[in-house]
Amino acid sequence: MPQNISLSINGRDQTVSVEPDSMLLYALRDNLGLHGPRFGCGLGECGACTVVMDGNAIRSCITPVSSVGSGKITTLEGLGTINKPHPLQKAFIEEQAAQCGYCINGMIMAAKALLDQTPHPSRDDIKEALDGNLCRCGTHMRIVRAIERAATQRG
Amino acid sequence: MNQNHSRVADTQISRRGFLQASSGLVVAFSLFGPTQIAVAAPTVGSTVAPPPAGKLYAWLAVHPDNTATLFTGKVETGNGIETALAQIAAEELDFPIDRLDVVMGTTSETVDQGPSYGSMAVRYAGPQIRHAAAAGRHVLLDLAAKHFGVSTNRLVVVDGTIAVLGSADRSITYGKLVDGKRLNVEIGATGERFAMKVAPEVRTKDPSAYTVIGKSVKRKDIPGKVTGEFTYVQDVKVDGMLHGRVVRPYGVEATLESVDETGLKDIPGFVQVVRRENFLGVVAETEWGAIQAAEKLGSTLSPSGPSDGQAKWSKWDGLPPMDQIWETLRQTAGSNRSVASTGSVDIALASHAGGQVLKATYKTPFQMHGSIGPSCAIADVKGDHATFWSGTQMPHETRRDMATILGIPLDNVELRWFEASGGYGRNGLDHVVADAAVMSQELGRPVRVQWMRWDEHGWEPKGPPIVQDLLGILDKDGNAVAWRHHMWVPTITDTHLIAPALIGKPDITGITGTGATPVIRYGYAFDNADVAVHDEGRVALLTAWLRSPAQFETTFAMESFIDEMAAAAGQDPLAFRLAHVEDPRAVAVLKAAAERYGWVNRPAGGKKPKGGGKSAQGRGIAWVNRDDVRVATIADVTVDLASGQIKVGRVVVAHDCGLVVNPDGLRNQVEGNVVQSLSRTLYEEVTFDRSHVTSRDWEGYPILRFSDIPDSIDVVLVNNTPQYPSYGAGEPATNPTSAVISNAVFDAIGVRLRQTPFRPDRVKAAMG
Repeated sequence: MPQNISLSINGRDQTVSVEPDSMLLYALRDNLGLHGPRFGCGLGECGACTVVMDGNAIRSCITPVSSVGSGKITTLEGLGTINKPHPLQKAFIEEQAAQCGYCINGMIMAAKALLDQTPHPSRDDIKEALDGNLCRCGTHMRIVRAIERAATQRG
Repeated sequence: MNQNHSRVADTQISRRGFLQASSGLVVAFSLFGPTQIAVAAPTVGSTVAPPPAGKLYAWLAVHPDNTATLFTGKVETGNGIETALAQIAAEELDFPIDRLDVVMGTTSETVDQGPSYGSMAVRYAGPQIRHAAAAGRHVLLDLAAKHFGVSTNRLVVVDGTIAVLGSADRSITYGKLVDGKRLNVEIGATGERFAMKVAPEVRTKDPSAYTVIGKSVKRKDIPGKVTGEFTYVQDVKVDGMLHGRVVRPYGVEATLESVDETGLKDIPGFVQVVRRENFLGVVAETEWGAIQAAEKLGSTLSPSGPSDGQAKWSKWDGLPPMDQIWETLRQTAGSNRSVASTGSVDIALASHAGGQVLKATYKTPFQMHGSIGPSCAIADVKGDHATFWSGTQMPHETRRDMATILGIPLDNVELRWFEASGGYGRNGLDHVVADAAVMSQELGRPVRVQWMRWDEHGWEPKGPPIVQDLLGILDKDGNAVAWRHHMWVPTITDTHLIAPALIGKPDITGITGTGATPVIRYGYAFDNADVAVHDEGRVALLTAWLRSPAQFETTFAMESFIDEMAAAAGQDPLAFRLAHVEDPRAVAVLKAAAERYGWVNRPAGGKKPKGGGKSAQGRGIAWVNRDDVRVATIADVTVDLASGQIKVGRVVVAHDCGLVVNPDGLRNQVEGNVVQSLSRTLYEEVTFDRSHVTSRDWEGYPILRFSDIPDSIDVVLVNNTPQYPSYGAGEPATNPTSAVISNAVFDAIGVRLRQTPFRPDRVKAAMG
């Protein structure tokens, strides 16, 4: 049965009433109205649902809410807004690195975890960090360029 | 509610506000004479029918704050057409593009301009919008002339403000001029959908004066998409909405024998099972509840058989064996259609003494659209009224289909369009609307249905398998004298929907159709040619158009086989093509690509690499004429000799789609086409057993990953001038890729790959 579970989301403590073994993705999207993380496969195969937990990119579609505990979650909304975008989001806009954009949440969140750990990645580092994230529109070249741009602009 | 959502909602409210405000009002100005005075429709609030195409308000609204809204029946699928169409309108209106909003697809708000497919949005809807916007500008100038008491030739427009020439203090914005009224002006429209002519008599801007068209305007949708503020159809919430999931048959045409509902009521939020003939679904208060209920009934990634879940299906194994699919195609009765017939290949065959006869067969498998976000829709069916929220590429068609399926008057049906994950043709987005319709009709409440990954992979309509036989004749001097290309192509226009078939009404909407699109453009000018398509109906699985339907596959065969002939003649593959192509735009793209690449004239290597190297390099070239667009692509590949892995290095694409509206938007499309078609070339094949599709997730149906992307994609724009109209660019650059890679591999290691995908094991096997 649903229980009240406390989560740390984008720097705020939030309580959701969900079944403990349900997946974090649905709590974020349906209970908290955070639409950055997206349902792609429900199998942890595509990366559209990626969020950052304690500095690591994780798949929220296969992460039970009960397993989150005190983990600090950052979603795409936690980075920036249209009016005040995060440097990564700004770089994606500048490179026009999206087509349908459905996968882009995962690309940016995977890149966020990468740049926090490796501020100046090589192109191969970027490709490796994003290799588990699928894009169907074929925007890969621009996504790589956007991450390179963001890394450069961080100085 | 995020910014994008509220923007759409506000626009709808303000538009309805116009309707209310202008009810009974007469906005008395006219384009073509003083007599056409339009009266506001008396049916305010009683219909959700599309607006009449001949009215200016069907296309344009100007708001008091001097922002404006463009309305179009076309929809964004990730191609950037929202921005491109806005550029066309802003150009004619002399209006700042960042103040011009776009409402797309919602059937009560937009004119049916035909579906958004086939690279046809800018090409066909572009001129319609250009004319509507030009008419709008004339109307606004007339209003300003009246306002200032001067003739229109004394007025000048800059960024949505009209001023009297020479009187700096006499100016007024579009917004103030219109003053919140609906633009209820007859501008005229004839014909329908793609063929519609809007305001046909209006004079449009001379392209030499363009300032917005041709600029790389940043896309309107991207900021919202990279911040999570964008509302996809998957994000829409409707008051009282329930969550539905489908439970599909185990075998494609299996019948539902029984449903055991034990334990379903124990699932928190579970509401009910929806069962109608062979249609099975579950509805719950939460997504998680619906997912769990569907799983109990048998909706899982890898069900073991028709009785694996609590829903029991009949045994059905009517699919042909996968490894015999191409023989099945050849044996399927179809109709023969000649594409080109010149001279006599048979006579050439009998008289080619001293020359060479080449024969080859090319095979391509079922492939899928593979949208990253599975199909999703919301239906709210109440009595004889219905509202849908959908990301379909064909909102007006889907509205008509839903009225038919539900048996309710068309004027009571509205489809509110929100963008979905990219579609690339016709994926499950139309089908899921019908699923939601069936469930909502049963419940009498709004139901949101989202397919699981295995529903999408398993049941989205596929691009069909194709088999092609080619024959070429070279005379003793190496000149090509004859060409035969026969192809067996299942329907690519099967518009039947899944849910109606499951509820026992398979033919209530949709047709099976044939390969009646330009499956192939025979691109050469041989003395003797015989090119023919064997059109077939549905073969094995449900199919639909998949990016550059069938032409992707036929270009693979045509452009690989011409390479085979060039190699047999000992000639450079570019020179050989140029010797047999007459189309000047084709010659132009081939030469432009070669120049950018730095092409050096030599025959393809065609030999196994000598020595103990670990890899071998090669280059390949191919071109296409896709619906009046010409594309030539050149790529370098490296083949790992131990593994058979193909790695693509530099790619050069010369692209002629006529006048380019947004150069960076076009480059984004071309890059996307190249990468996606590379994925289809290297990796993609739908697998199936005798009952159903077995490649039901991304492990079963792998696509290209970041580690596989080319080193670079260089795009050269050819004939980007007003001399040519803006043809569509959504698909054409997909076409050459398989042939380019096949030809490059031949150049590298002397092996011809004639069957996609070119996975390493297949390359290794071909290397022997």
